[in-house]
Amino acid sequence: MSSTVLSLSNVSKRYGDFTAVNRINLSIPKGSVYGFLGPNGAGKTTTIRMILDIIRPDEGEIEVLGCKSAMQVRDRIGYLPEEKGLYKKMKVWAIISYFATLKGIHRKDAKLRAFELLEQYGLKDFANSTVESLSKGMGQKVQVLSSIAHNPELVILDEPFSGLDPVNQEVLEQLIRDLKNNGQTVIFSTHIMQHAERLCERLLLITQGSKVFDGTVDEARAIIPRRVILECQNDVMALADLEGVLSVSETFVGGEGRIPGTRQWELYVKEHTNPQLILQHCFQNGISLSRFDFTQTSLHDVFVHLVGQEAREHNFR
Amino acid sequence: MRVTLLIAWREYLENVKTKGFWIGVLLVPIVFFMIFHLSTRLATATPTRYYLLIDQTGQYADSVETAIRREHQRRVMQDFMRYLQENRSDTANFAVSNEPANQMDQLLDDFGNDEVAALDDWLSNGGLSFALQMARPYLRADTPAFEEPREQFIAAVPPPELDLNASAEQIVETLRPFLNGESRLPAGDNQISLFALILIPADVNNDIVRPVTAMQGGLQGDTGPRGVQYWAGNLTDTRLSNAIQTSINNAIRQQEYIERNIDVNAVRDVQRTRLPVSRMDPGKVAGDEQVSLADTFRQWAPMGFVYLIFISLMQSVQYLLSNTIEEKSNRIIEVLLASVTPGELMMGKLLGIGATGITTILAWLASFFAFIQLYQTIETTMIVQILDVLLGSDLIPYFVFYYLCCYTLYAGIFLAIGSLCNTLKEAQSLMMPLMMVMMVPILTMSFIAQDPNGTMARVMSWIPLFTPFTMMNRAAAQPPMIDVVGTTVLLVVTTITVLWLSGRVFRQGILRTGQPPRIIELWRMLRRRST
Repeated sequence: MSSTVLSLSNVSKRYGDFTAVNRINLSIPKGSVYGFLGPNGAGKTTTIRMILDIIRPDEGEIEVLGCKSAMQVRDRIGYLPEEKGLYKKMKVWAIISYFATLKGIHRKDAKLRAFELLEQYGLKDFANSTVESLSKGMGQKVQVLSSIAHNPELVILDEPFSGLDPVNQEVLEQLIRDLKNNGQTVIFSTHIMQHAERLCERLLLITQGSKVFDGTVDEARAIIPRRVILECQNDVMALADLEGVLSVSETFVGGEGRIPGTRQWELYVKEHTNPQLILQHCFQNGISLSRFDFTQTSLHDVFVHLVGQEAREHNFR
Repeated sequence: MRVTLLIAWREYLENVKTKGFWIGVLLVPIVFFMIFHLSTRLATATPTRYYLLIDQTGQYADSVETAIRREHQRRVMQDFMRYLQENRSDTANFAVSNEPANQMDQLLDDFGNDEVAALDDWLSNGGLSFALQMARPYLRADTPAFEEPREQFIAAVPPPELDLNASAEQIVETLRPFLNGESRLPAGDNQISLFALILIPADVNNDIVRPVTAMQGGLQGDTGPRGVQYWAGNLTDTRLSNAIQTSINNAIRQQEYIERNIDVNAVRDVQRTRLPVSRMDPGKVAGDEQVSLADTFRQWAPMGFVYLIFISLMQSVQYLLSNTIEEKSNRIIEVLLASVTPGELMMGKLLGIGATGITTILAWLASFFAFIQLYQTIETTMIVQILDVLLGSDLIPYFVFYYLCCYTLYAGIFLAIGSLCNTLKEAQSLMMPLMMVMMVPILTMSFIAQDPNGTMARVMSWIPLFTPFTMMNRAAAQPPMIDVVGTTVLLVVTTITVLWLSGRVFRQGILRTGQPPRIIELWRMLRRRST
């Protein structure tokens, strides 16, 4: 078996004049957790649907688990769509079991597996409730469980975290880790960067149908320089001459409760710059700092940096 | 195939679990019960009506009262005939036999052929007491006593303040509050409400219409009431007014016969002279050609089957649309499509909902059989015999074939419609034309049953959307072989084509969001192989 679970080469999809997905290339190794990031309408869901062979690409090749079409290996794939829905009148265990039987699991095993999963993820008491009696979040958990009940080699989750409370988000994160530990490959799309940061080994960032980034989380962070925020009474433009500092600029912030005369500065530094140098410089020049903020670049910043302007335009179009 | 069956099984279970399904299944036996039980109960439960007869001429009151008594006797006789049929000890086959076997059959036969004559015999023979005596030997040992029906019309006593010789207008004015229900008439210890006033004014004979006067002066422009005045708030119950009209006319005619020196008895004999007509079927074995009730029923039975197909199809249509739209609007469809192909999904739905429809029909038939076993009256005994005739005929295979074809044909179309819509509301506007098409065979059903091999029947048989209904309707009338074979081939080919095209629309429609497509988009969908 090849170590690549999924590969896309030059895949495009157009609806009339609108290009939903434009020449995407992708390769996902077995056993990894892969994040699909991108603003609303970027083409994530279209890409996922093409991977699953629900819709066909206009151009390019897709290979899933060694096959040209996901339909040929559909029993080895689990899928949670973006827009969640379940049969309202069905019982919780029955719906998990039904989707598992559609994936080739024997009826009795499917029932056992449903109860096992419900117990494992804290829904045992709801096993015999109907879906319509569940809250939205619980319904979503049930749907996640029904997409993994047949132990698929490849799990594709489209926006699995949306609509879940923080506690259940953690449960879901744990579930994804469990899948990974089990050797299963997970692809999920999200626009909550923290989840991607905590879970993903690799990321794909697409906007307006085109890939803008594909790589590890560290590689993503390296795209934008690190930022230091200083607050003091002085002018610190001189810090720009320090080794590793790329730029210094003053940011104007208002707000009550600030000491009058406090100025805020934003410094961009190279990836491996030692923050001690900046502190040392301030100390030597008698600059008394009321704030020194040196955070690791978040994926959030990367995301906004890469797609921010376009996403905003897109939303208001 | 495995997934198709899984989907079908789930569809089936889900539908069978709904309340609507059970209401549909249980409604039919309940309706049967209502028809057979309540209709007879309701007829006897009609309240007693009180009428006031004011005859200022003094000529007609007796005739009217006799007529009302006669109407009551007619009902007694009717009830008695029914009582006789229900409780007779021999198990003569009413439905198949036409031979009156004995005196009682003679009575029933007379009753069926000429009710007026039978009533005359009944009255001249001594009415109920004689009939009971005559029938006793033929009744079963456990027969309950005969209950004479209540009198429906009783003469009321005029209120004391009423001047019977006043002008018609004054009498009506005095009685108006009673007729309107504002006041009640005293009758012994009770108060009764007045149902009708029959007022025969003193000068009524001036209004008699004779053929000659009708020609010359019938269209005189005089306004206001003429002749006998019948005042009643209830316009729907015409039994009393009919009885009065008939009785007064009879009295007048009687008078005319006498005036013209015509023998009244001779006239009555002439009026009762008749020649029976035997209906024969040339298709039956010699010696058994007479058309029995079951034969007539067999000719009309296909209409029942057409109805059954139609009602069952209407039910299935609801499931086909609402289940597809549920999956679409709940976005379950996407999960399903990651597991099954649209074709498998469509076939699964088709099978599952088809099974639901068949279950409903079987449940109806079962409850119908159970009902007629448990609730035996003269009508149901007849139905059992008729069903025996039916089940032994070749209509059942026709029904099974046309039911399946009709369901598959329409289900294909409705699934395609369902796949294009996100809400039932959207679906309804797309459904409308198809519903109208489906109404055509129902509206033309009785014409086709009357002329099963006529031009309209033949033309409609060749339109695939109508073929199942029309050919089912014609099934008992031995349609020409070319029609049977030709339309069947056309129907099967059309059904397969429709399923294939619906599959295309379904595949593309099922993932669509937003408005249903326009005609031009639909055409493109039909032509395109896949998305």
